[in-house]
Amino acid sequence: MGANQRLRRRTVWLLIIILAVGFGAVITRLAYLQLVQGEELQRRAIEQQLADTPISAKRGTIYDTKGKILAQSASVWRVVMAPAYFDDGAEGDEQRAFVASRLAAILELDEAELLEDTKQNTYYVSVKRRVESAQKDQIIELQNELSEKYNKSGIISLLDDYKRYYPYSDLASSVIGFTGSEDQGLWGVEYQYNDYLAGTPGRIISAQNGIQTEMPFDYNQNIGAIDGSSVVLTIDETVQSIVEKYMKQAIIDNQVHERGVCIVMDVNTGEIIAMASVEGFDLNDPFNVNEDQRKEIDAIDVEYLIKHDYFEEDEDPYKISDAKKKELIEQAKSEAESAALARNWRNKAISDTYYPGSVFKMVTLSMALQEGVVNKDSRFSCSGAFQLYEDTIHCHNTAGHGTQTYQECLWNSCNPGFIQIGQLVGKTKFWEYYQAFGFSEKTGIDLPGESEDQFFVHDGVEGNMLDTDLAVASFGQNFSITPIQMITAASAVANGGKIVQPHVVKQILDNEGNVVKNASTETKRQVISESVSKEMRGIMEENCTTGSGKNGYVAGYRVGGKTGTSEKLIDVNDDGADDYIASFCGFAPANNPQYAALVFFDAPLGGNYYGSAVAAPVFAEIMSEVLPYLEVVAQYTDEEASNIDTAAGSYTGMSVDDATAAAEGDGFSVTVKGEGSTVISQNPATGATIPTGGTIVLYTDESSKSEKATVPNLVGFGLSEVNDIAASYGLNVSVTGTASSSDSTSTAQSVPEGTEVAPGTVITVTFSSGGIAD
Amino acid sequence: MLTIEDTSRRRVRDYERERHASSQKGRRKINFSLVNIGKGIDIPFVLLIFVLLAIGITMMFSASYPVAYYEIGDSYYYLKRQLIFALIGLAVMIAVSFVDYHYYHRFAAIILGISYFALMLVLVLPSQEGGVHRWIGVGMFGIQASEISKFAIILFMAHWGSRYYDRMNTFKFGVLPGAAVFLSTAFLLLFEPHYSCIVIIGILTVVMMFVSGIKIKWLAIGAAILAVLILLLWVTGMLTYAMERMDGWGQALNEDLDRDMWNSTWQTRNSLYAIGSGGLFGLGLGQSRQKYLYLPEPQNDFIFAIVCEELGLVGAVLILLIFALLVWRGVIISLRARDRFGKLLGIGLTCHIGLQVVLNILVITDWLPNTGISLPFFSYGGSSLLTLLFEMGVILSVSRTSNIEKS
Repeated sequence: MGANQRLRRRTVWLLIIILAVGFGAVITRLAYLQLVQGEELQRRAIEQQLADTPISAKRGTIYDTKGKILAQSASVWRVVMAPAYFDDGAEGDEQRAFVASRLAAILELDEAELLEDTKQNTYYVSVKRRVESAQKDQIIELQNELSEKYNKSGIISLLDDYKRYYPYSDLASSVIGFTGSEDQGLWGVEYQYNDYLAGTPGRIISAQNGIQTEMPFDYNQNIGAIDGSSVVLTIDETVQSIVEKYMKQAIIDNQVHERGVCIVMDVNTGEIIAMASVEGFDLNDPFNVNEDQRKEIDAIDVEYLIKHDYFEEDEDPYKISDAKKKELIEQAKSEAESAALARNWRNKAISDTYYPGSVFKMVTLSMALQEGVVNKDSRFSCSGAFQLYEDTIHCHNTAGHGTQTYQECLWNSCNPGFIQIGQLVGKTKFWEYYQAFGFSEKTGIDLPGESEDQFFVHDGVEGNMLDTDLAVASFGQNFSITPIQMITAASAVANGGKIVQPHVVKQILDNEGNVVKNASTETKRQVISESVSKEMRGIMEENCTTGSGKNGYVAGYRVGGKTGTSEKLIDVNDDGADDYIASFCGFAPANNPQYAALVFFDAPLGGNYYGSAVAAPVFAEIMSEVLPYLEVVAQYTDEEASNIDTAAGSYTGMSVDDATAAAEGDGFSVTVKGEGSTVISQNPATGATIPTGGTIVLYTDESSKSEKATVPNLVGFGLSEVNDIAASYGLNVSVTGTASSSDSTSTAQSVPEGTEVAPGTVITVTFSSGGIAD
Repeated sequence: MLTIEDTSRRRVRDYERERHASSQKGRRKINFSLVNIGKGIDIPFVLLIFVLLAIGITMMFSASYPVAYYEIGDSYYYLKRQLIFALIGLAVMIAVSFVDYHYYHRFAAIILGISYFALMLVLVLPSQEGGVHRWIGVGMFGIQASEISKFAIILFMAHWGSRYYDRMNTFKFGVLPGAAVFLSTAFLLLFEPHYSCIVIIGILTVVMMFVSGIKIKWLAIGAAILAVLILLLWVTGMLTYAMERMDGWGQALNEDLDRDMWNSTWQTRNSLYAIGSGGLFGLGLGQSRQKYLYLPEPQNDFIFAIVCEELGLVGAVLILLIFALLVWRGVIISLRARDRFGKLLGIGLTCHIGLQVVLNILVITDWLPNTGISLPFFSYGGSSLLTLLFEMGVILSVSRTSNIEKS
């Protein structure tokens, strides 16, 4: 082979190698990068090319049913850092240390962690959210220092952020709930409706070059944050406030150990008008325990550790090292704090299960009436106890109620009577109705933390009852339900037999105020007939006028209700005796029910633990204020007409004679103060309601206005005595509670004894009937 | 079996014959005049050069204007200079095309000597950015010593391969001189240091030896030695170490790099981002985003990443096709040369372009460490463009000579 031939051949080989192998490899590699990996590489390229700054969305507002703001977001700032701007080398280390220490000082953060953050090679690290104005000013100062000292800008920036405020602090706290550090709902409506409230964060995307300065042309894309929708609750702030006011007072008065619950619900729609777990917590500071709890936690000592089993059996609590003791106490404190917070947040109205006790009798009787197993000829005897096999079940009236109709069984709240009614219903039907009334399922209320009932299980079969189970269940012991289940069932008893879906949210509004969603009334099923419901309403109304529920009577309104005292079978205060739950569940008006309310006190330790004595009067107090507010028309009995409240007219500006005549014409008695001839002022003011026959004080000169009356003691008397005493002091009395009953006595007055008030001031006096032990 | 006298005589005869023929033909046929400017030169090759230069300068302008804007304040800074050098370079190319390439035959050894001198000179001159010793002269008037080396070695190998073509199958004539020239040059380049150039020179030397007709056996032995060396490095773990030391070669997309490594792989990573962003059809001419200070010096070695970003895979492959055509045309020209020296010189210079293209793209795609291999016709740089067009002129001279002889 000639040299030229070889050269030619080898050259062709070379050409093939260069083109096929070399160019082939290059093109393959490019195709792989551009087509296979292209998307990922482009994503990463865009990530660095675009400065992507999040914009916080403003969280929606939570309104009460009347449009009052319960939760709102206000503008604050978020501090962010772009650590990639730090220089390299020693200079960069100095800058990082400087920034970390300054930020730690201003924002009260951990300096070591901040130093770690400064070492990241990114343009966006969120340092702290919800920075308030004062700190913001310090951050701006730091920015200036950085640019002066190191000629660095852009390392620290401030972005818009929002902070949640709750104007009513602890009102309806466990219902409204609160948000966490990232503005996410953690509890209550804030949690349940987070998707609506949160909105969608926006972002500002701007092109940036490799050194993050301006581009020679503008490229900015602003994807605005979509502010969250607002939520309108069915809760009425006024009703909620009334409820919490009386609940707080009652909890103090009755030394309630485990908090109290009150739910006010629209029986026809399922709207929750008020839901209180008292004491609640400060929504503006949900992660701190209250002062009393703090004191208790601070007081934790060795004795506490011993009592709560912090020591091993072979350890001598008094001989352990100080370090170990300190460690255990810290542990106990932190555990106690967590437990206290959990307790504060807990929405007892839906999370606690309890034995409903005698309140449940309305359900048992409804079943019996619906099934037709009782009629006007049915008689149930009570000897004070009921013998079932080896068990003796006592009635609260140990003397016995004698022979009773089924109505009397309820009015007397007679356990043996209800055992017999329960037996007539039978185990199978009882279990069916138990389920139908909704006790075996969650109500599905739109709040987090709802508990399930705890029902009898025998041989592993749910609902499999023994005779004794049925006997005890017929008066509401032996199974646990939640307060929300109880009031839902009671609403069905009252509203014609419909189980309605309880809910706390009425409406969702978008950020421009347009209605996005309306909650509608959802009826799950008919559980008893309208006629049975009607009969039950009558029986329960009578229970509040003459029966065991008369402490729940609200003057001027037809109220039906049932008391309940149930055993907790737990000793909360270590006094050796099991404690009780006192409850009352009622509705009004009894002839056409609109609102039901359940009042529930967990472990009252003030001596009196009966539902009739502890819960029923609170129900009456609450309803006497709530029903007028809710514009439920009052229907007075003839007897009450004398005590009826009338609005005072306007007598000011008239001559004394004319004014006197007008006031007397309106049914008031008149006291004139001062020497003038014209009325310059009056008490009570125009429109204030006072009982008919009450006193109107007319002032005729300035000096007379400074006259004061001292409030006397009005507690512990009958109605007529209270009226007489008040009249003699020139004061008016507004009556609430069971005033009509002959054995009623006044139990509370709205203005304490000894207070100086203007003559004619209306003092609300609460009456209750003694002698009922249920 | 030839005696020493025989071979020696024949060698002298061949040499003399070639020299005489070339000088006679050259003197007779080639006249430097504008009328003759297109006479005899390979028109397709010239067209390809013009197309590549046009595309190259356009892309260089597109890639460089943000950097020019930000760093110099004049978006046209690089364009203006590159245009000037392109014009000078084209003039040089045409002028060189008139020069009978046989003249280089005589100066092959001298030019090789100059390249050694240049390589030693840069070592005593002040270092450039990054502590390397590569440039002679300053700024626009600088030239990389290795550019001289590459041309010198191609020239020398063509000279040697044509002069001793009948002894290339011996170790002494076929392997030893090439090995000696390569190793000595590589040794000097180690001090610059300029590893990529060692690779290029190594490949070019082997290519020249191969085409000159050395025994395949020697190439195989050489490849075996190289393989064993690499294997040894790999087994001892030094390869991995070396790879890690090579500015995080192959690590550019690793997001868990520490800050130093992250910074040193910055250019390669952003090159990959640019290439990947291009996709199939690219972002459009001038639409690169990576050139906005993300990809450092986008006008230099990494310009093809911007090309890929703006023109996509389609544009990149089209450009590579033009390069391939140029290589193919260069080889055709070389094979048509009347003498062995012309053939070898043409093949060597053509290979050099092909090799630069392939290696450059392997660097920007992170398959080779980032060590400074420019892309012919595209990368900014006066002296390298001048050198390139000078070499193109030499190839054109080969074509002119052979075409005129033919006619």
